Amino acid sequence: MPTRSAYIHVPFCVHRCGYCDFTLVAGRDELMGDFLKAIEIELSHVEGRPVLDTLFFGGGTPTQLPPDLLRQLIELIRSKFDLASDAEFSVEGNPADLSDATLDVLVEAGVNRLSLGAQSFDDATLKMLERDHRGSDIADCLARARERIPNISLDLIFAVPGQSLELWRSTLDEAIQLEPTHLSTYGLTFEKGTAFWTRREHGDLTQADEELERDMYGLAMDVLDEAGLAQYEISSFARPGFRSRHNQVYWNGGDFFGFGPGAASYQHGRRILNHRSVTTWLKRVLAGESGVGETEELSPEDRARELLVLGLRQTDGIEACEFERRSGIELQTLVGESIERLVKQNLLEHANNRIRLTREGRFLADSVAGELLV
Amino acid sequence: MDASLIRNFSIVAHIDHGKSTLADRFLLMTGAITAREFKEQILDDLDVERERGITVKARTVAIHYKHEGKTYELNLIDTPGHVDFHYEVSRSLAACEGALLLVDAFQGVQAQTVANAYAAIECDLEIIPVINKIDLPVTRVEEVMDEIETVLGLDGLSSLQISAKNGINIEAVLKAIVEQVPPPAGDPDKPLRALVFDSKYDGYRGVVTYLRVMDGSIKKGQRITYMKGGTAHEVLELGQFRPAMTPCNELSTGQVGYMLCGIKDLGMVHVGDTVTDRSVPATTALPGYQQPQQMVFCGMYPIDATDFEHLRDELQKMGLNDASFSFQPETSDALGFGFRCGFLGMLHMEIIQQRLEKEAAVDLIQTAPNVTYELLTRSGETILIDNPEDVPDSGQIEEFREPIARVTFIVPSDRIGVILQMCEDRRGIYKATEYLGPKRAQITYELPLAEVIYDMHDRLKSATQGYGTMDYEIICYRNSDLVKMDILVKGVRVDALSTISHRSTSEKRGRTLVKRLKNEISKHQFEIAIQAAIGSRVIARETISALRKNVTAKCYGGDITRKRKLWAKQREGKKRMKQFGQVEIPQKAFLSVLESSSEE
Ligand SMILES: Nc1nc2c(ncn2[C@@H]2O[C@H](COP(=O)(O)OP(=O)(O)OP(=O)(O)O)[C@@H](O)[C@H]2O)c(=O)[nH]1
Ligand code: SF4
Ligand SMILES: [Mg+2]
Repeated sequence: MPTRSAYIHVPFCVHRCGYCDFTLVAGRDELMGDFLKAIEIELSHVEGRPVLDTLFFGGGTPTQLPPDLLRQLIELIRSKFDLASDAEFSVEGNPADLSDATLDVLVEAGVNRLSLGAQSFDDATLKMLERDHRGSDIADCLARARERIPNISLDLIFAVPGQSLELWRSTLDEAIQLEPTHLSTYGLTFEKGTAFWTRREHGDLTQADEELERDMYGLAMDVLDEAGLAQYEISSFARPGFRSRHNQVYWNGGDFFGFGPGAASYQHGRRILNHRSVTTWLKRVLAGESGVGETEELSPEDRARELLVLGLRQTDGIEACEFERRSGIELQTLVGESIERLVKQNLLEHANNRIRLTREGRFLADSVAGELLV
Repeated sequence: MDASLIRNFSIVAHIDHGKSTLADRFLLMTGAITAREFKEQILDDLDVERERGITVKARTVAIHYKHEGKTYELNLIDTPGHVDFHYEVSRSLAACEGALLLVDAFQGVQAQTVANAYAAIECDLEIIPVINKIDLPVTRVEEVMDEIETVLGLDGLSSLQISAKNGINIEAVLKAIVEQVPPPAGDPDKPLRALVFDSKYDGYRGVVTYLRVMDGSIKKGQRITYMKGGTAHEVLELGQFRPAMTPCNELSTGQVGYMLCGIKDLGMVHVGDTVTDRSVPATTALPGYQQPQQMVFCGMYPIDATDFEHLRDELQKMGLNDASFSFQPETSDALGFGFRCGFLGMLHMEIIQQRLEKEAAVDLIQTAPNVTYELLTRSGETILIDNPEDVPDSGQIEEFREPIARVTFIVPSDRIGVILQMCEDRRGIYKATEYLGPKRAQITYELPLAEVIYDMHDRLKSATQGYGTMDYEIICYRNSDLVKMDILVKGVRVDALSTISHRSTSEKRGRTLVKRLKNEISKHQFEIAIQAAIGSRVIARETISALRKNVTAKCYGGDITRKRKLWAKQREGKKRMKQFGQVEIPQKAFLSVLESSSEE
């Protein structure tokens, strides 16, 4: 099967938010030209002229590129790939800087899905997160964008220091009122190397209590479901027909291309990760060297276990025959005992011939993953 | 070989006084190794030795030295200095006529200097005192000479002064060996008697027997018997360590070397045994060695239960190379099939565990160590207890006795107060203080062994800025108010976590221990109570709250690799876990019992 998905990482932001450990440079817009050149070089290694079913521009903030550079970037991609007629073409954007000019470029290029980093509607929370937009910007942005690109997803963050359950509830409510087709919710994590990590070490940031975080996640599941945004993965909720096709490629073990610093590609059981430092990646690629940081060759069993764990993170869960067809390994022999144990512990359940996480299991998905990898 | 041209000697000293460095010099000067082959402490070739910078195994080398027109064969044995390996020293001394006693020019006579000097005196060896490290910026040569004189009763004034590191005055030491150490005294015409003073297992060639020929001689092809082991063999290869194994056709009276007979059966060769000729055997065997008394015991269990047989083999091989540790199969409800192993001390235990993991590639779970106790039961029986599990009901115990050690400290005089306080805190009984000079004193105490072995050495070092040293020997068992403390994890008693302690400290220990365990055991889906109990009385309790949330939200293209690594780490961690009822306990938890023996 040829590879039919691609991810492009655009590593630019105005400012690095305190919790963010993504691959990006903040306030280094002068590197944008080099970035385009480097992407062109990476693209030149692709053989033939593949057709894509899904294309995703993530970041960083892709919409941080000025309209003409964004157009050039899209042209570069489209000169190498064809898009299937029903392709999903997503771009991540920032509510603060999605200009009409940028929207023009996106619409013209065929972008049909927008993913907005809303995070919160509460200004204090946004300030805490060091985001550069205000709560009211989100509605404005949505109002302008939705006529032209109706399929819009919002990202929300919970368990932010100082955020109460009530505040989270109103954030969810406001999000629902804006009627997005899709919503992603993330519990805030403290990653090594971020400002938040250091602040927590020094005691001037307090991580949300485990019980509160659990309640917040539980609340999101309840409220969103009621609003018609059905959960289909640990952090993903969608109206019928609006699940992210691109992300489902990741979770179902599909192949994909990846371009840009820190981007991953996965083909024939080999995962290639580009260098995570933007400048190193740029330097190497522009010097004609490889921008790859590490390569991972997955054994059939590794692939099967990964498929299993990623499959279970989706609410549909997995089905034994289908699993065996995809992985070449029988589910029962691989993890039969562990599954039964987890079912007894009420973390997994059998439903309609499929195995999936229980509601309780969703709170403890990483523990479940740990069990299934031993 | 003419026995009058042979000199056999050990190099003994307190730890780190430079024995292995002096051996380096000898090897270099006599051409046994070239400058190119040279590396520091070349005889310390075990991984653990190089990693820790200490000698663990005694090492024998034959070197040739020309003196006044004659070529002498010198067999030197480099010995370890740490108290836990004293058995290596005493075995080596029995194969020699002389001993070089090294004393650090700054540190002077220390606790193991005294112990080793006395051991050499007891073996009737010619002792040559040597003051080493005279190159140090600050030395106390005069005082050290006095200490050698007064503390050891040796001729301190004529001690040689050298720097092993910088190669100063090494020739004088070689000369002194030739002139002062007597040649071996055995009779070449008597039937063969050779002392087995060490052995090891070689995967290709079988058992390597280390020999010192006392009488007669041994030749390649000869038929021999082990007098104690009772088995007969043909000598397939003989040789000397130079330092690599170098074959030769014969070892004559007084010589030191090795023998290969193609023995694969690990039970056949015993250190201390005598090798004799099969057809013309000696009438009496050599006295051999006293079995050392193991004092520290712990359980060792293979992490993977199917490794049990493999572990047994490896323990046997290790036993061949180190006759001073013991092992007995045992079972634990908690850990399954394993072995109760006995050691001469804590470092010895650590070293063996590390060697098993490194050299033999077995992954182990080790339980907290304990000393041996003696019990007098109500029925009048005396039993030895080396596993807290074996302690009977308190109703059956008439007397619960613990081993007592006589401990000698050598410390700077201004630190005496700290040491006294430390010993009083540990139920010590004061015996004596002697001044070794204006600034140093030797203090003697009687202390429960359990209070000595775990961390007293570290405490002593920090109390004296590293200048204090100690030595101990076990003198008796004494009745004491001892109790067995059990640990219950979620209501299930974990036998491998039981400990014995003095009643006066048991509550504190219990509290510390449950706290430690709380930190070691990770959250589960349910609440876990950890209790310490004496009999049915709970003396301490901690609770690990239930795990309520453990899920990472983001899992896209590049995240998957990061997640996989995280999961893989979890999996590695899990390998070292044991399941108790519903609770998983990591290997580290078993050792936290040990750490809690030190006061908080
Ligand atoms: N300055 C100086 N340092 C020395 C001299 N001899 C040995 N050392 C140092 O002392 C340390 C210990 O030396 P070793 O030869 O390992 O001592 P050891 O007596 O064999 O130690 P153990 O076998 O562990 O008891 C090393 O760091 C040596 O470099 C010397 O003459 N002068
Ligand atoms: S905008 Fe998004 S990608 Fe950029 S720094 Fe903030 S969190 Fe990171
Ligand atoms: Mg040494």
